Amino acid sequence: MTSAVTIPRHGGTGGRTAVAARARQVVKAYGSGETRVVALDQVDVDIARGQFTAIMGPSGSGKSTLMHCLAGLDTVTSGQIYLDETEITGLKDKKLTQLRRDRIGFIFQAFNLLPTLNAIENITLPMDIAGRKPNKGWLDQVVETVGLADRLKHRPSQLSGGQQQRVAVARALAARPEIIFGDEPTGNLDSRAGAEVLGFLRRSVDELGQTIVIVTHDPVAASYSDRVLYLADGRIVDEMYQPTADQVLDRMKDFDARGRTS
Amino acid sequence: MTVLKTSMRNFFAHKGRMALSAVAVLLSVAFVCGTLVFTDTMNTTFDKLFAATSSDVTVSPKTAKSDSTPQNGRPDSLPASVLERAEKAEGVKYAEGAVSSMNVTVVNSANKNMGSSTGAPTIAGNWTRNDLRSMEITSGHAPRGPTETMVDADTADKHHLKLGDELRTIAVTGDFKARIVGIATFKVTNPGAAVVYFDTATAQRELLGTTGRFTNINLSAATGVTNDTLKQNVISSIGAGAYKVQTQKEYSDENRSGVGSFMNVIKYAMLGFAGIAFLVGIFLIINTFSMLVAQRTREIGLMRAIGSSRKQVNRSVLVEATLLGVFGSILGVGAGVGLAIGLMKLMSAAGMDLSTRDLTVKATTPVIGLVLGVVVTVLAAYLPARRAGKVSPMAALRDAGTPADGKAGLVRGIIGLVLTGAGTFALFTAAHADKATDGSLVLGAGVVLTLIGFVIIGPLLAGGVVRVISAVLLRFFGPVGRMAERNALRNPRRTGATGAALMIGLALVACLSVVGSSMVASATDELDKSVGTDFIIQGNQRIVPQAAKAIETTPGLEHVTHYRDIEAKLTTPDGFSDSDGVTAADPTYAQDLHRKTTAGELTAAYGRDSMSVGSEFATKHHVKLGDTLTVAFKGGSTAKLKVAAITDDDVVIDQGARYLSTQTMRKYLPANRIPPDQIMFASAKSGQEKQAYAALKKSMEQYPQYQVRDQSDYKQELKDQIGQLLNMVYGLLALAIVVAVLGVINTLALSVVERTREIGLMRAIGMSRRQLRRMIRLESVVIALFGALLGLGLGMGWGATAQKLLALEGLKVLEIPWPTIIGVFIGSAFVGLFAALIPAFRAGRMNVLNAIATD
Repeated sequence: MTSAVTIPRHGGTGGRTAVAARARQVVKAYGSGETRVVALDQVDVDIARGQFTAIMGPSGSGKSTLMHCLAGLDTVTSGQIYLDETEITGLKDKKLTQLRRDRIGFIFQAFNLLPTLNAIENITLPMDIAGRKPNKGWLDQVVETVGLADRLKHRPSQLSGGQQQRVAVARALAARPEIIFGDEPTGNLDSRAGAEVLGFLRRSVDELGQTIVIVTHDPVAASYSDRVLYLADGRIVDEMYQPTADQVLDRMKDFDARGRTS
Repeated sequence: MTVLKTSMRNFFAHKGRMALSAVAVLLSVAFVCGTLVFTDTMNTTFDKLFAATSSDVTVSPKTAKSDSTPQNGRPDSLPASVLERAEKAEGVKYAEGAVSSMNVTVVNSANKNMGSSTGAPTIAGNWTRNDLRSMEITSGHAPRGPTETMVDADTADKHHLKLGDELRTIAVTGDFKARIVGIATFKVTNPGAAVVYFDTATAQRELLGTTGRFTNINLSAATGVTNDTLKQNVISSIGAGAYKVQTQKEYSDENRSGVGSFMNVIKYAMLGFAGIAFLVGIFLIINTFSMLVAQRTREIGLMRAIGSSRKQVNRSVLVEATLLGVFGSILGVGAGVGLAIGLMKLMSAAGMDLSTRDLTVKATTPVIGLVLGVVVTVLAAYLPARRAGKVSPMAALRDAGTPADGKAGLVRGIIGLVLTGAGTFALFTAAHADKATDGSLVLGAGVVLTLIGFVIIGPLLAGGVVRVISAVLLRFFGPVGRMAERNALRNPRRTGATGAALMIGLALVACLSVVGSSMVASATDELDKSVGTDFIIQGNQRIVPQAAKAIETTPGLEHVTHYRDIEAKLTTPDGFSDSDGVTAADPTYAQDLHRKTTAGELTAAYGRDSMSVGSEFATKHHVKLGDTLTVAFKGGSTAKLKVAAITDDDVVIDQGARYLSTQTMRKYLPANRIPPDQIMFASAKSGQEKQAYAALKKSMEQYPQYQVRDQSDYKQELKDQIGQLLNMVYGLLALAIVVAVLGVINTLALSVVERTREIGLMRAIGMSRRQLRRMIRLESVVIALFGALLGLGLGMGWGATAQKLLALEGLKVLEIPWPTIIGVFIGSAFVGLFAALIPAFRAGRMNVLNAIATD
């Protein structure tokens, strides 16, 4: 069995552990008996702090499920998931909601923004519902970095797809979460807009020390990461550090071939 | 075929979303059918009752009316000789003289009125063989002799009467006591009349004040003789023309027509309220189908892309509406019957006995219910269906997201403003009308136009009004409040239609409450200004002489005033004549009711052979002070009376009354034709008001059919009566409001479904369930308050206009019942909270993952 557990080491930001999130023996199964489908099969994984991790795998490999479980959006059948030192498996909805609000950021593939709120309101929404004041300096910096300063009063419907995703990224960053999860964040964008968003995510890791995990099937998107995890049939079957798009593509072709011959 | 199949599938796939619309159709149809069943059942009950209580052929005096007693308080009668002659007619099995009076009050030994509390009459009469058709003696025996009486079982039950109890009968001819020796039970449903029986001699003496006369003659046909034949035979025996001869059918038809017209008033009033509920339901149905169409935009686009015609898409929506209408209406018809039964039980509890044995469901009732339900539903779905037909095939290719918000258009705004403007103008005109009758039509037009106008510009107003409400209310709720506001604003047409549904019911509530309190305020004002008497004595029976005597002999009174309307024909010098009668009162009446005069002194009108007329009459018919009018008293002689005063008609009480003194009346009317007093006034000796009031009440204890009230009690009574009436109307309007609340629930529930992804997103980024629920509740409150604000504003406008118009009829004081208005406004907020309960709960339970599940 392959696992993607790295030996914990101290360092990185603020004296915290180097692992931002980890999964231990996580099983996610749907149905029971004959119709039981296992989406995650005893997965162990560590997400390194301050790194950009990409999860890849064919459709139905369980990559989205893994991300949802790590992010506290979905419950697991068995096993534990920790965010930093907090075990989130078994948390009640209320605590879990607070945790998502205060410690996690999200970027989805589409429909990231509330259509009734303008860009800046969308960006500060997590802090607003938490009743916290956003840090003005930081907010300005984030807005500046994503290049939305002149679009803050626009409603989502008045923004292009790429701009909408950048607002989503800004929202995820603005609350300074411990970890940002992206579910195919560039899936709906053309390559130029996608590159813009990915470049921005990369910069936030490099310059701001942000931890980011994305699920993608796009080798180009994966090439922006520090580490790629490959999932198949609910298990982690491989990983790759400092990937390039070509390497990722080759590896995926391998899996495809193996899948077909076995 | 495919269209039908798709529609059926859609209908059943979305049955949850249709549920509330179905309930709205159900409620409206149920109310219509319930009303029909209830009134039909009442009619059946009365039909059966009248058929059972009338004999094969009845002979009555020509002047007799089945539903009223002549003003002198004694029923019209015919001599016993008629019975003798009728008896001899061919084909008579038996004939008997009947005595019956409805102008009586029966009390028990504790002076408690044994009559119905629901306005049904007390009937006293002699026990005849004819009564055996509808009743049987279930205990004791029929009355014999002057001290025996028999009472109906329902009355006995209600008042715990048993054999041996003493009853006192108060008739215009005097009081008399008799012991109960028998109890008779109706074989048909008796809806509430209290009936007492005596033997014939007692009934004649005590009820008619004579012997040898009857109120009518009941004839039974021999075997093989039809009622019509018997009628002809009787006519030839007693002579045509002198008396009214009626077959059983004719007699019961005459009886019934009185009840029937009363039932029709009830029926149409209730159907009116059902109509309002339907109107409100239309908004709900429009909203439901609009939302279904919006949510299905992509699906419809696909259908169009693969070749469905506009017509087919349009039709598929209408077919769904038809299914909804049929389904809701069928359930509604069933619920209607249940409602009617419930209403009957309620009436029974209130003292009006109705039996489910008589339950009448005419074949037309379900047909009316079904047709109405289906037609209204399909009409309401027409606009959304047309919109569905307009969906372009391109919609299939666009990203789903949220459906395009309905933008309130310019055309809508213009039409709405024009209608509202026209309506406002009509209201303004009505408020300044010279005659109430002319103005009422304009008022009606104004009400309808402003209502339609408001409904149309509702979505435009939604923006501003919701922002104002939110600015005041929602700022305490931070970002949750802001999002609630934005959600309420995102589809103004939807918010507008939902609010409009609530607006209609509340506008009527506001309007009626304004008119109601203005009525109380105006009456109080008028009473304060004009009424000088201390005590007012009246009841639903004219004041019998023995009661009048009791009033006159009460200690501590300074004076007592008799007041009666007298039937008379009046002719002016220029030849005009009318039969509106005159008012005979004691001269003290001038102190009891202060009237301004335009000429002469009112006291002079109470002089010998003098009278007064109202200013309107005087102007119209050129009557001047000193003119002589010819007054022909009905049943008496004709008098020439001098006009000694002209009263100012700008009043409500006694408007246009023509006064003359009791003395003058007595001169021209024989004693036995003088009607009892309608009302009496009494004033206490100065400083003895309290004692006199108590003494008056005490002396009237034995006449419980009359109420003694001082001015403040009288005002209170007036207020209570209007309050009761308003409460009844509010109760009926509650149906429309319930449907409107269903509309709010419906809008929220469908919005929640529509916003699944948004809700998921908000939950994913950390909004708690509690915050989410609060957001939906606040949205609901804002919508409800929007509807309430519009409705109350509109209704107060209507009410104020109605008051201005009715000022011509004496509704001079405008009183806005602020506690009621504010109460309704605050209540609406709670209604909004209530409506959001289930949608909020469901939103809270929604799966977070739905937001990110890519479809």
